[in-house]
Amino acid sequence: MKRFMTGLCMCVWLALCSVAPVLAADDLASEQARRQVEQPLNNAPVWKEVRSGQQNYTSVRGVDAGVLINPGGQTWRALRNGPVTLYGGLIFCVFALAIGAFYKIRGKIMLSEPKTGRLIERFNSAERIAHWSMAISFCILMASGLVMLFGKHVLLPVIGYTLFGLLAQLCKNVHNFVGPVFLMSVLFFIVMFVKDNVWQAIDALWIRKVGGLVSGEHVPSHRFNFGEKTWFWLGVVFLGLLVSASGLVLNFPNFEQGRLLMQQANIVHVVSALIIMTLSLGHIYIGTLGMEGAIDGMKSGYVDETWAKEHHELWYNAAKHTARHSDEIQRSPDTSGSVART
Amino acid sequence: MARMKFICDAERCIECNGCVTACKNEHEVPWGVNRRRVVTINDGVPGERSMSVACMHCSDAPCQAVCPVDCFYKTEEGVVLHDKDLCIGCGYCFYACPFGAPQFPQSGAFGLRGKMDKCTFCAGGPEADNSEDEFRKYGRNRLAEGKLPACAEMCSTKALLGGDADVLSDIYRERVLKRGKGAEIWGWATAYGKPEQKPAEQPAKTGEKS
Ligand code: SF4
Ligand code: SF4
Repeated sequence: MKRFMTGLCMCVWLALCSVAPVLAADDLASEQARRQVEQPLNNAPVWKEVRSGQQNYTSVRGVDAGVLINPGGQTWRALRNGPVTLYGGLIFCVFALAIGAFYKIRGKIMLSEPKTGRLIERFNSAERIAHWSMAISFCILMASGLVMLFGKHVLLPVIGYTLFGLLAQLCKNVHNFVGPVFLMSVLFFIVMFVKDNVWQAIDALWIRKVGGLVSGEHVPSHRFNFGEKTWFWLGVVFLGLLVSASGLVLNFPNFEQGRLLMQQANIVHVVSALIIMTLSLGHIYIGTLGMEGAIDGMKSGYVDETWAKEHHELWYNAAKHTARHSDEIQRSPDTSGSVART
Repeated sequence: MARMKFICDAERCIECNGCVTACKNEHEVPWGVNRRRVVTINDGVPGERSMSVACMHCSDAPCQAVCPVDCFYKTEEGVVLHDKDLCIGCGYCFYACPFGAPQFPQSGAFGLRGKMDKCTFCAGGPEADNSEDEFRKYGRNRLAEGKLPACAEMCSTKALLGGDADVLSDIYRERVLKRGKGAEIWGWATAYGKPEQKPAEQPAKTGEKS
């Protein structure tokens, strides 16, 4: 608890010290001028000023070159190396284990009735491209980001300095170039999916029954249920944009932004990335291992009638007239993008 | 074994930038990279002070603590050095360093900064002492030649001192004792209020000077 409070205090302080320097500098300069007469050799005001992080004069050009002491550095170090790495890593691992345990106990969520073999188009190709470009870039960023945050503690002792140096170099460059691709695909994805993720009255039922996750009950929903909508708004829209925006601050030092902004952006970036990665484990699990038939929609674009009925009943009711047999689809794949929406 | 340190005496530094120039020349540091700089506080205001600053070779070095590839190491003399072959140019050391010592040859888009460069206390890098490779990456290894850092050697007012911490503190202590006018420099008045006795009044000015 104490450590948590220190972390919190430091966050607040990090935010405050961006405004602090402007406050006192002028007073201190005039106080020093006065001291020069009253108490020559007493430089206390100067040294107070130095800790404020203000820009002084220097003939050397460079980012923050005029700042003698970088006041945020220690805070950033303590946060990043301390609670962010420790608790971030712990939460990520614990969540992964929890999913493993859930799989052991609950097992794969199977369809309760046999598949009919008649398919309904769930995602058209544009939607799948949006999803997969986001998903693939996300996975690359996750892997390379994990190497850069935890590699020093986990990989370096195992594979040694030379190999880890090369790997980290690769990860850093890949991370920096794939990052903007992720941002683009997030924007594309939001535009494509926002309409069907607006909250609807039926979502209340899903919340009441926690999606039937525990009971195994099928809760009716439109095209997306409340769980998917939450992942859309929290994961993709909020965290996805937050992680991208803070990433941009770090990725383009050519705009000569100062260190304080970079320190703050880094903390925001790492924290939001750790949350989104942890949550993504749940999404990836339920989309692949955790539920029979869930991956089909994103793989081929089509889901079986039974799956549609059991997991998205209201959507199924509106879309069942489009159901066709898989052979028919193979003969004339419908690429007109006519996914039924409700 | 000596513990190497820099100290800059703000009462002596005259902001001539001799140290900056000496460093650039000694190590043939690329354009745009300055391992040392002089910062002037309250420039142009009475009581302004200048400080020459570079890597201070911290005992608990923040750069070393945050580097994701752990490329920093400390020599027996307490000099903080790094391995440019490992450095990935992430800039974290620059965020963490209290003195803004780490420098980057580029600040390109997509975080392309190149390999970090900083003051080596004229002690080179992991390569063989005074080898060509070492010079190309880290500059001259004066310590291996039995010399002290070029910046401090060059300093015209001996404001900037570099070398064994014990020797430096003796020099500085002596300076403070000779220079001081008693308790003022220790901040006595700061702690207990302003001195009651004002310094002697300036003779009253008679007439306007042109
Ligand atoms: S680079 Fe900065 S943090 Fe690292 S040893 Fe030098 S002064 Fe300390
Ligand atoms: S820029 Fe290089 S030396 Fe600095 S923290 Fe990154 S990898 Fe380490």
